[in-house]
Amino acid sequence: MATKKNRKFDFKDIEDLQVYMTAQGKIHPAKRTGLSAREQRRLKRAIKYARFLSLIPYVS
Amino acid sequence: MTEHKHIYQAMFLLDNEEVRQGFNAARDWVKSTLEKHGLEVKVLRLWGERQLAYPIRGRKRATYLLGWLEGSGDAVNQVKREMYLLGPVFRCLFLQEEEIPAEELALGIPEVKDSEIIIPEEIEEPEFDEFVEEEPEAEEEAEEAVAADSADEETPDAELEEVKTDGN
Repeated sequence: MATKKNRKFDFKDIEDLQVYMTAQGKIHPAKRTGLSAREQRRLKRAIKYARFLSLIPYVS
Repeated sequence: MTEHKHIYQAMFLLDNEEVRQGFNAARDWVKSTLEKHGLEVKVLRLWGERQLAYPIRGRKRATYLLGWLEGSGDAVNQVKREMYLLGPVFRCLFLQEEEIPAEELALGIPEVKDSEIIIPEEIEEPEFDEFVEEEPEAEEEAEEAVAADSADEETPDAELEEVKTDGN
């Protein structure tokens, strides 16, 4: 899934974030996303910001 | 002690009821609150009006404001404290950034006419409890029907007894 190195994630880009989430709303593990540890942390933060702002659900 | 200034990206979730009364009034309240605590507002624009992923304070839709600010961390904390106590803001998020993107900086604080913002009405769906209330009535009706059936079943026996007594 990773297309380039040092990817940054924007909490406003919901469609991009949902690629890395299950239908239930869980975040896919790094093993599945193929992101580096730093990128996976960035993804985690972006998803959590989006959840806080009710852009994506915590559980669906 | 000198206060370090940082650049922040901020997003505010506004109550649609307040925005219906006037988007500019709601935005000005946010802007004045930010400036009151010493934050310099570079950009403050409408990001969108959309359905929430989960209801907040009973609302299913809300309006999002996106801002780019410059100021100290203490000021941000004071703003957060005030916004969660007063005003039309449900949620606010401040993220420290390195710089303001040029395309965002060009937008500034655009003027928006209140008539341009159309906020759809929230459709009130019936609550689950309303359906639950109907169930006991249905049960009562079923019980009555069973009682009536059993009463009907008793009558042939009674008739037989009557016939026997007549025969004797």
